[in-house]
Amino acid sequence: MAQQSLMGNIMKKGIIGVIIGAILVVFAKMTHFPFVFQVMFFMYAMLGAFVFILLDAPTMKRLEGPKAAIALVVFYVILSLVFTGGASGLPQYDPEIEKGKIDKILKRRKAMTEQGKAEVLIARVKALDERAIAIDKKLNSLGADKIEVVEEVGSVATSAGGDDILALGKEQWELQECYNCHKLGGEGGKKRGPIMDNIGSLMTPAQLREKILYPKTWMAEGFDKQYKKGKMPDKYKDLMFDEEIDVLVAFLASLKDTSVDTPKPIKMN
Amino acid sequence: MKAKEGGLRPLEKLSRSLLMLTGLVLASAASAYGQIPDAPIVDLPLVGNRTGVWVVAQLHILFAAFILGAPIFAVVSEWLGYKNNDPKYDRLAKEVIKVTVILYSMTALTGGLFIFMLLGTYPDFTTWLIKHFFLVFAVIYPLLFIAETIILYTYFYSWDTMKGSKKARHIALGVLLNVVGTTTLFVIDGPTAFMNTPAKAAEGMSLVEFVQTAGLWDKIANYSWMPLNLHRLVGNVTFGGFIAGLIAAYMYMRSRTDEERAYYDWMGFIGNLIGVGALLLLPFMGYLLAYELCDYDASICPYMMADQLSMFFEMQGAMIGLIFLASNYYIWLSMKRIDGVEKVRISGLVMIAVLIMPVVMGIAWKMFPPPEWQSLIFLAALVVLPPVLSKLPGLRFTVSAFTMIKVGFLMIVVSDAIWMTPHGFVATQGAATHDLELPEWAQELALMPAKNAAAFTLVFLTIVNYILYNRAIRLGSISWGKIDFASQFVLIFLAFSAIWTMGLMGTVRSLTRKYFHVYNLYPDFTPEAFTPTLAYSAWWVTACTVVFFAVVSFAIMVTLRTTKEKTPPTQGVPLPEGAK
Repeated sequence: MAQQSLMGNIMKKGIIGVIIGAILVVFAKMTHFPFVFQVMFFMYAMLGAFVFILLDAPTMKRLEGPKAAIALVVFYVILSLVFTGGASGLPQYDPEIEKGKIDKILKRRKAMTEQGKAEVLIARVKALDERAIAIDKKLNSLGADKIEVVEEVGSVATSAGGDDILALGKEQWELQECYNCHKLGGEGGKKRGPIMDNIGSLMTPAQLREKILYPKTWMAEGFDKQYKKGKMPDKYKDLMFDEEIDVLVAFLASLKDTSVDTPKPIKMN
Repeated sequence: MKAKEGGLRPLEKLSRSLLMLTGLVLASAASAYGQIPDAPIVDLPLVGNRTGVWVVAQLHILFAAFILGAPIFAVVSEWLGYKNNDPKYDRLAKEVIKVTVILYSMTALTGGLFIFMLLGTYPDFTTWLIKHFFLVFAVIYPLLFIAETIILYTYFYSWDTMKGSKKARHIALGVLLNVVGTTTLFVIDGPTAFMNTPAKAAEGMSLVEFVQTAGLWDKIANYSWMPLNLHRLVGNVTFGGFIAGLIAAYMYMRSRTDEERAYYDWMGFIGNLIGVGALLLLPFMGYLLAYELCDYDASICPYMMADQLSMFFEMQGAMIGLIFLASNYYIWLSMKRIDGVEKVRISGLVMIAVLIMPVVMGIAWKMFPPPEWQSLIFLAALVVLPPVLSKLPGLRFTVSAFTMIKVGFLMIVVSDAIWMTPHGFVATQGAATHDLELPEWAQELALMPAKNAAAFTLVFLTIVNYILYNRAIRLGSISWGKIDFASQFVLIFLAFSAIWTMGLMGTVRSLTRKYFHVYNLYPDFTPEAFTPTLAYSAWWVTACTVVFFAVVSFAIMVTLRTTKEKTPPTQGVPLPEGAK
């Protein structure tokens, strides 16, 4: 009897859930929600149906002894699988994207630490060792005049020609995640900071540098609230090397798209 | 071999002593290890160093939350028993403390293991941090821990001797235990919060210079310290409540008599009441912590909400929704066994307020973001006006308790849908495309005013449901021990879900340091300094929760087995005084 009423309950609420879900999907489609949101709305309707099935479900029989213990274990297994499965079913951030960025940001800093120095030395020793072996082999087989020069491995120094400066500056823009707050080329930004497309026409490189190092020295017109709240992080003087700031400033100074309305900078203190 | 009243059996004493000893040995080994010059860095096989430290830290925090949260719950319960002269509260408090005493050793053990792991895997950073907080790690924290140990054991072992006229003094001892415990929490939160928000660079001074010259208090009282303290304190109370519910569920399942079932049914009700009561504050404490983190560095906000961690918050939304559904379902099951519940009614205006709340508050908070006073006017109007207006002629229509609760369930689903609607169904906004983003007209759904309105609706209707429950208890007659057996699984679900969510959000807090051990100050140069995927994190959070539950379940089963034999059956009317 209870089983029948449970089945009836499931059928009734299930059908109502499907109908409501279908209405939501049609509404979402008509109002231009993407497919993934339509699926989400349908799932909510089914969750609602499940909840209302539970509300009117017949009373559960008491479990005792081994049956209760088994039920508990099964319950925990289901919970674990549902929670991990649910989390795994959501879109996943690819750590590889971040790894490349972190390597670039920390490479120079790591080289300055004791551990970094040791690693560089070890890399050099290995390289020299390999080089010695290579020379030895060449001497034995080809003769000394045909030995190729093995390029030195392990150097942490980076060099950039004039043509690369803007590219390096753009790289700093990406690495420091300036796009999180500033829009550039129609991409990024969440209204926390001004659009940057024409900033090079409005600020000199020295002023840009001052703003990056000491955010309170300049304010973008119309961004009083963000300025007061200190939305621009006051951390780049600690996190960035001079060369990194130089290339970022050079990149920003090159942004002179006058068709974009970049807010006027105001000198504060 | 039976235990003395209020004491532990020799086997339990031995196992606890061994655990304590192991903890001490581990801590000593860790210190000794740290003394060896140029000791090689340990490379943990299979899981890697970061995950190894993560798992041990997570387990330590879970046990620590237990031993800090449970005594808060216990002393309140003991006081209620004293005030109402109801022995059930006293028994409840004692049982919770009994389990706490057993798990105290696990806290020490995992704490020792945590230090050991840190020194082995991250020796440079660990040494650096210890030097910055030497007074905390070497003096204040150990002293507090020793004091807490002494007070906890005194509190437990004096339970049966400090009765009658001495009961007030025993409760005072419990209060002292909680004061010391909370102080310990606040002290150790200092270095933890420091790792997230060390300090803001002072004018004309670099962050490195500032930290080198700052005093201990400057480093402890950092931006996120007090929000973290409050968040963890409220979290621990929630923890204590839900764990009491878990204990009640296990014992209810094991009960063989109606008296036992009546008692553990009531204990589950109290545990859930405290757990949910504190849970209602938790979203706001979480907001406060997130607000401080974002205020400290605006780049943390997009990292959490829009980029790498955005789907962690999606999962959090799902979990919060499930927890609210489960806690209200428990109320529903509890009310179903109350005779006379059909007499309970509530103003229809309250139902209307619940129905319109997400929309009205979403718009109001969009126009006047909290804490602007106008935002509170709207909120107050929705909360206060229904009961006031319902006194007016023509507006006195009412709905039954069950109708109101069903509408409440509908709104929980709606509110959770709002909470979980992201701007784009992508792991990072950089990957957002037109096919995965909300249409332009609906983008408000993804903004904070809508999320706040959804969170407040969840809280409001849970309070309404508890009001109805309380009215039902007053007007009707409750049959303790006759609750639907499914309710015990609901209690277990609540404990598991709440603790799983705590693990997930702890992961988020830790990850907001990005590729730093100490944000913006001490970089993590290891290859593991990236944001792991949500799936990977969820598996480890689940693993930690399962291990924790296995240990706690074992402790409950072993510890409370004797109680059943020794405790006299509950007397008089099974309805608790406090519930009347």
